[in-house]
Amino acid sequence: MRIFGGVFTALALLAGFAQHSEAGDFVHIPGGEFKSVIPEAEGDNLVAVADFLVYETPVTNAEFLRFVLHRPEWQRGKAVSLFIDDQYLSTWAGPISLGPQSGPQQPVTQVSWFAANAYCEWQSARLPSWYEWEYIAAANDNTADARAFPEWRQDILSWYSQVGGDPIVDVRSSPANYYQVFDTHGLIWEWVDDFNAFLVNGDNREQGGADQLQFCGAGAITMEEKENYAVLMRVAMLSALEARYTTRNLGFRCARQGENSSE
Amino acid sequence: MLFAACQPQPTGSGKANQTDTGGSAAGDLGLPQGDPILAVLTSAPDVPPPVRRDYAAKVIVDMEVRELDMEISEGVTYTFWTFGGTVPGSFIRVRQGDTVEFHLKNHPDSKMPHNIDLHAVTGPGGGATSSFTAPGHEAVFSFKALNQGLFVYHCATAPVGMHVANGMYGLILVEPPQGLPPVDKEFYVMQGEFYTVGKYREKGHQPFDMQKAIEENATYVLFNGSEGAMVGENAIKAKVGDSVRLFVGNGGPNLVSSFHVIGEIFDKVFYEGGSRYQENVQTTLVPAGGSAMTEFLVEVPGTLIIVDHSIFRAFNKGALGMLKVDGDENLLVYSGKEVDNVYLGDKVMAEDLSIISDVTQAEITGSATKEQKVSAGRVLYNGTCSVCHQQNGEGLEGVFPPLAHSDYLAADSRRAIEVVLNGLAGPVTVNGKTYNSVMPPMSQLNDDEIANILTFALNSWGNEADAVRSGDVAEVRAATERPEGAAH
Amino acid sequence: MRDRARTVVNNMKWIAGLALIVALNMPLVNISTVQSPVGNSLPANSVYHLQVSVEDQFGEITGLDRYRGKPVLITMFYASCPHVCPMLISTIKLTESKLSAEERAGLRVLTISIDPERDTPEKLRETLERHSIDASRWSMVRSQPGDLRTIAGVFNVRYKQLPDGEFNHTTRIILLDHEGTQVASTEQLGRHDAAFLEAIKSRLN
Repeated sequence: MRIFGGVFTALALLAGFAQHSEAGDFVHIPGGEFKSVIPEAEGDNLVAVADFLVYETPVTNAEFLRFVLHRPEWQRGKAVSLFIDDQYLSTWAGPISLGPQSGPQQPVTQVSWFAANAYCEWQSARLPSWYEWEYIAAANDNTADARAFPEWRQDILSWYSQVGGDPIVDVRSSPANYYQVFDTHGLIWEWVDDFNAFLVNGDNREQGGADQLQFCGAGAITMEEKENYAVLMRVAMLSALEARYTTRNLGFRCARQGENSSE
Repeated sequence: MLFAACQPQPTGSGKANQTDTGGSAAGDLGLPQGDPILAVLTSAPDVPPPVRRDYAAKVIVDMEVRELDMEISEGVTYTFWTFGGTVPGSFIRVRQGDTVEFHLKNHPDSKMPHNIDLHAVTGPGGGATSSFTAPGHEAVFSFKALNQGLFVYHCATAPVGMHVANGMYGLILVEPPQGLPPVDKEFYVMQGEFYTVGKYREKGHQPFDMQKAIEENATYVLFNGSEGAMVGENAIKAKVGDSVRLFVGNGGPNLVSSFHVIGEIFDKVFYEGGSRYQENVQTTLVPAGGSAMTEFLVEVPGTLIIVDHSIFRAFNKGALGMLKVDGDENLLVYSGKEVDNVYLGDKVMAEDLSIISDVTQAEITGSATKEQKVSAGRVLYNGTCSVCHQQNGEGLEGVFPPLAHSDYLAADSRRAIEVVLNGLAGPVTVNGKTYNSVMPPMSQLNDDEIANILTFALNSWGNEADAVRSGDVAEVRAATERPEGAAH
Repeated sequence: MRDRARTVVNNMKWIAGLALIVALNMPLVNISTVQSPVGNSLPANSVYHLQVSVEDQFGEITGLDRYRGKPVLITMFYASCPHVCPMLISTIKLTESKLSAEERAGLRVLTISIDPERDTPEKLRETLERHSIDASRWSMVRSQPGDLRTIAGVFNVRYKQLPDGEFNHTTRIILLDHEGTQVASTEQLGRHDAAFLEAIKSRLN
C-alpha cells in the first residue's frame, strides 16, 4: 500500500508540476565585477561574472523526487557508492517517497555533488560556479553587494548560531534578495560546480607560503578579506567535502548561461 | 623525579644550573607495545586517572564534535561547538612516548566542518591538516606524544577565532614517563571568554558577536563554559589536609588569565604547563591557548574562590569558581569566621534562592510584606553590595560611603534607585564626609532584586523607611539611560 | 483470499502506475550519462561506473575502463606544468622501477589531463616521448568537455585554473584494482612510497 501511495504521489506531482525549466523559475542575473574572497591570482581579487540564469530557490524535495522517478539509477538503494555515501536521501521515508520528515517544499539535502550535477544536467543546466554563487549571495534585500554591512554579516553568523539538527524550513520562507533570489543564506549550504577548486588547506590558518609540492602551480591561493567570516565559512565547508559526500544541511540549485553570453 | 627535576639553583649570578627533561627526543620510545588502550575521557572538572604504565602504548582517542544549545548563564542560552558535548572539551591523558590514534567524529547534525589542533602534536597544524571533517564524517590520524606537558587543543577551522570563541578547546596531559607525584585531588579548570550580541546576562538565546570578538570586548569570562559551572552545588570539593592539583587551561580566544585562588597560595606552579615550577605563588598568568599546573595543600575549611584576578572579569563577567574545603577548623592557621557568599558578585547560593523566589511571587500578587522584602534583600545585599559597603553597612573609611544612618540614602529613595541602576561617579557627601569613588552600575539586577535590596538597606542598621516597589524601579529604569557597556 | 486479491489489485495498480511513468517520461536532451546501466556486475564503488570518454595521445577515444582487467595507476596532470607534473611522472617511473619486469608488464598507467583544451593528442604524444614512456602500457588522455570536474570528483583531486593558464592542483597517485576500485593512493613525490608499493605488488601477484 505504501509503495502505491508513493507512486500515486509521484504521478500527482508529475501531472501537477510544470517543468522546472520554465522562465519563471530561473532568475536572470546581470553580470558584473566584484571582489571575491577567493582571488583569481595572488592579490588580485576582482572577478568578472558574465550574465547568467539561476534558480530562484534551491532544488526542493518535490523536484528531486521527480528526478529520481525519471532517473531510477539515482534512487536511494540503486545509486552506486562511487557517487553517493550511505546517508544519501536518508531523510526520505523511502527511495521514492518523501514521508513526513521531508516536506515537498523543503530544500533537498543529503545529496552528493554527483547527484546534484546529474539533476542539473537532466534539466539542461549545470551547477553554479563559486563566483556566480558568491556574486548573488553578496546581496541583501535591497543592495547588490551588502558584504560590508555589519548587519549582513551578523545575520549570517546568527544562522551558524543555531544548531543544525532542527528541521529545515521550506524554501521562500525568508524574503528574496536584491536579485529576487531566495535562500542564499540562512537555509542550507549549497554545492557549486567547482567546489573542489578550493585548495584551502585543512588547517585553515596556513594561507600563503603554500607547500609547493602539494599545490602545484602558483601555490595555494590565499583568501582575501579574512574578516568576511560569513563567506569564509562557506569556503571552509566546501573544502571539507568530497564529491560523493552528503550532509544534512547541504543542498543545491542549478544555473545556466544567460542568452547574452556565449555557449 | 624528572618532572620536579633540578631547579635553577639560587646562585648569586642567577645563572640556572639545570638538567633538562630531554625535550622531544626523550619521547621517541620506539614502537607502541601491548594491546591498544581506549583513552578514558572526562568532562571538567573531573580528570582521568593517572596513566600508571611503564611502557609506551597505542592509545585510541574517540572524540565526537557536537554543536549544542546550552545555558551559558541563568536564562541565557548559546550555541556552543564542543569536543565531546561539553565546554571545555574532554580531558585527554596519555604518557610521553605514546602513539595516539585520534578519531575525530563530526556529528551529522553539525552545520560546520571541524578539525583539531593539539598543541601536544609535532606535525603540520598540530593535526589540523589531517583531521578536517565534514558533518556526518570521521577522520583518523596518529601522532606520537613526544613532549611531556599540559597542552591545549582546539579547533582550527576557518575562521579559527569563531570556532574557539564557541568553546572548541580542551586540555591534553602528556605525563612524564615516571608519572606525576600522587596528590589527593586533581581538577580540570579551563577559562574562556564569550562574545554575545546581547549584554551580560541579557536573557534569551544569544548569537555570537564577531565584532566584539575582534575588539576583544568579552561579554562573559567563564570557567568551564558557564556561569554556574563551578559555583554552589557545582563547586569542586576537597577535605582539610588534602593535596590539590589544578590543571588550568585558557582557551581564550583572546584574553590572558591572571589565575588566583582567594585564600590559598600555590605551593608549586608549573608555569605554562611545562616542566619547571615556581614556588609560593599568589597569581599566575595563563596565556590564551596555554596552561598552568598548580599544586597546593588545603589547611583550613571553607570556600576558596577561584578567580581571574583581572577583577572586573570575576565580578561583572562571571570569571568565578569555588573550591569547598570540608573538615575541622585549624584556628592556628586561620581564626576568622568564614563567611560564604562574600565574593559571589551577583550570584547567590542555591539554598538561599527560595526566599527570593517566594518574595518575587508575592510581589506579583501584591502581597509581599516589607519583612519579606527585607529578608530577600538581605540575601541579595550580602551577595552583591556587601563587598564594598560591608555587611554592617559601614562602608570603608574614605573609600566607600556608609549606608547605615546615611543621610544621602534617606533623603531621596528615587535617587537611590537611580544610583543602583546607573552607578555613581564623582564626589558625594554622606554624613558630612566626602567620598570620590566609582560605583559601577548594577542594572543587570532585575527590578525585584533592586527593590528588595533597597528595602533592606533602607530598613537596616538603624535606617527606617517605606518599602521600595518593583514598579518604582521599573519606572526609573525606563526614564533614565544606562551608561555605556551596562546591561539594560 | 481477499488479501491475495487485494495484493493482486495493488500490484496491477503498481504496474499501471509504472507504465504511466514510462509513458510520461520527458524527452531527453543530450546529456552525458554518468551512471552505468542497471545490472552491471562492477563493484559498487568502481570508478568504471563513470561512463565518460577520454581521448588518448593517438586520438583514440575509449571509456575510462580501457585498462579494466589489470591494476592501473591513475594520476591527473597537465602537460605545461613546470615543476610538479614532471615529478609526478618521475615518481611513477621510480615506483615502477621497484617492480620486477614481469610485475611491470601486468601494470598499466593512465594519466588524465586537467587541461583538455591545450593538451591535444599531439601535446600528449610529445610529453610521452619527452619522458621516454612506454606507450604500450601507459596512456595519456584528455576528457571530453564538461566531464573534467566529475572525473576529478571521483578521484578526489582538487584543481583550479589561474588566469595565466597555469593550474593549482593537488597531487595524488591512485591505484585501481582490476575492477576499478580505488585501493590505495599516495601523495609522496620524489621517492617511492613503501606502503603504496606494497599495495601495487599485492595486486600484481
